[in-house]
Amino acid sequence: MTTATLAGSAHRARPAAQNRILSVFRLHFVNVSTTIVVPWMIMAFIFLVNLAIWAVIFSSVTSAADRADVEEGLTWSGSSFFVFAYMTVVAVQAINLTFPFAQGYSVTRRDFYLGTALAFVSLSAFYAAGLTVLSLIEDATGGWGFHGHMFTSVYFGVGPWYVRFTLFFVLLLFSFFVGTAFAAVYVRWKANGMIALFAAITVLVVALGALATVTDGWPAVGAWFERNGTNGVILWSLVPTVVAGITGYLVLRRATPRN
Amino acid sequence: MTAVVEVSNLSKRFGQFTAVDGASFSIEENTIHGLLGRNGAGKTTLMQLITGQDFATGGSIRLFGESPVENSRALANVCFVKESQKYPDDFKPRHVLKSAPWFFPEWDAAFAERLVADFRLPLNRRIKKLSRGQLSAIGVIVGLASRAPLTFFDEPYLGLDAVARQTFYDRLLEDYADHPRTVVLSTHLIDEVSNLLERVIVVDEGRIIIDSSSDDLRGSAVTVAGPRAAVDTFVAGREVLHREQLGGLSSATVGRLSEADRTAAARAGLELAPVSLQQLIVRTTTSDTEWSQAS
Repeated sequence: MTTATLAGSAHRARPAAQNRILSVFRLHFVNVSTTIVVPWMIMAFIFLVNLAIWAVIFSSVTSAADRADVEEGLTWSGSSFFVFAYMTVVAVQAINLTFPFAQGYSVTRRDFYLGTALAFVSLSAFYAAGLTVLSLIEDATGGWGFHGHMFTSVYFGVGPWYVRFTLFFVLLLFSFFVGTAFAAVYVRWKANGMIALFAAITVLVVALGALATVTDGWPAVGAWFERNGTNGVILWSLVPTVVAGITGYLVLRRATPRN
Repeated sequence: MTAVVEVSNLSKRFGQFTAVDGASFSIEENTIHGLLGRNGAGKTTLMQLITGQDFATGGSIRLFGESPVENSRALANVCFVKESQKYPDDFKPRHVLKSAPWFFPEWDAAFAERLVADFRLPLNRRIKKLSRGQLSAIGVIVGLASRAPLTFFDEPYLGLDAVARQTFYDRLLEDYADHPRTVVLSTHLIDEVSNLLERVIVVDEGRIIIDSSSDDLRGSAVTVAGPRAAVDTFVAGREVLHREQLGGLSSATVGRLSEADRTAAARAGLELAPVSLQQLIVRTTTSDTEWSQAS
């Protein structure tokens, strides 16, 4: 060992460092194509395809009874579901690639996670707002003139604007943080971690199913879903979202990206 | 001398495998260090431990006087350029150059621009589509332009051609002269960088086997060549690091020689030649016998 003295970090005048949590937040938006441009382009494409299909349907359905049938059927639309899957992928990429990248910038795991979570919450709010506005326009224009439903499906997008916004927001948060937790397990334990995680989830699901069966609890489970309704069930997803968010942090806190 | 990093009795195990084994050394402020050793010697693990990316099994690390693990304040002084650096899927070099200043307060954008021209780095191509050399160029540019008080280059120039590597050495030296800082260069191309290095740390099988100034190290061994009998006589009783024979001629690498030794060698008709840093390290890391610390 040398007898060298240790230099303090303030050993020379340096420009003030930015808040690194905010820097990480900005890092997720340095290239807006993936997080903003591409999703809206996909959305526009699906919308135009839907519009064409609605036009074709309504030009071929003539009787009033059939029309009512079609209108009812169109409310079961999954056209905007891709947004949620897409955001899960965004989260996976952020943890799997942006995290090791940020480590090269000497960002701590804590700063990375907080900055990233902030970005995900912001993106959720942004997309929830966009989807809410579109659902209101859909209502106001009588389903874009064709009784179409893309943003006002039976799953969400009914009720006053703040209910719609909340449902979209909560579902987006769920998509982001579930993606985050899975990716964190992968970054920390690679394929073995994923296998173990899926095995654990399978066991848990089977065990819960068995429990419900053994205790004759299925009617109660059904009743719970009925009681809560779609909106209630979506709100309850906040529980797994929070669990995933905390788990993601705890897993990533001790992770070292390897090749 | 002031140390920016102090490592003592550091160890890191992965299951049964010991990647770092009781390492103790320091990294001096405003000095260019070479962290040398064979593949798998533990160089990258050491740097990952110092930068808080990996977690030690035992021992201690002080980075600017503090533990590096999850320590924003200490890590804000550090830039770590890795050969295998990953980038977000959709990134182009311009996204790296745009975001880097948010993390490195001393970032010099004009210098970065000049380096981009030097290395002919296409700014608007997906990083996924870049050649190996261009990928390395991004890392080198970030490492230099960030002007972090402590910069690690881990095999920074895989795929860079000779011209680009020379450019890297030249720019590093120029910028280092104007903006003194601490640099740790981990590389296989020892002879290419030997003139840059002020201190040399050699790792082998997770242990620090040399920790010395490069001047001391260069003088620490000499090759003695001449007729076999004369060489045998001269090296008798000395530790011989390496030996080669060709017919009646022989050469042997021995430790530091005194003035009297040199005179005696000349009188015996032997030729003395300095040993290059690369040869020295090759010889100390291939033999089983451990080479005592050169300093």
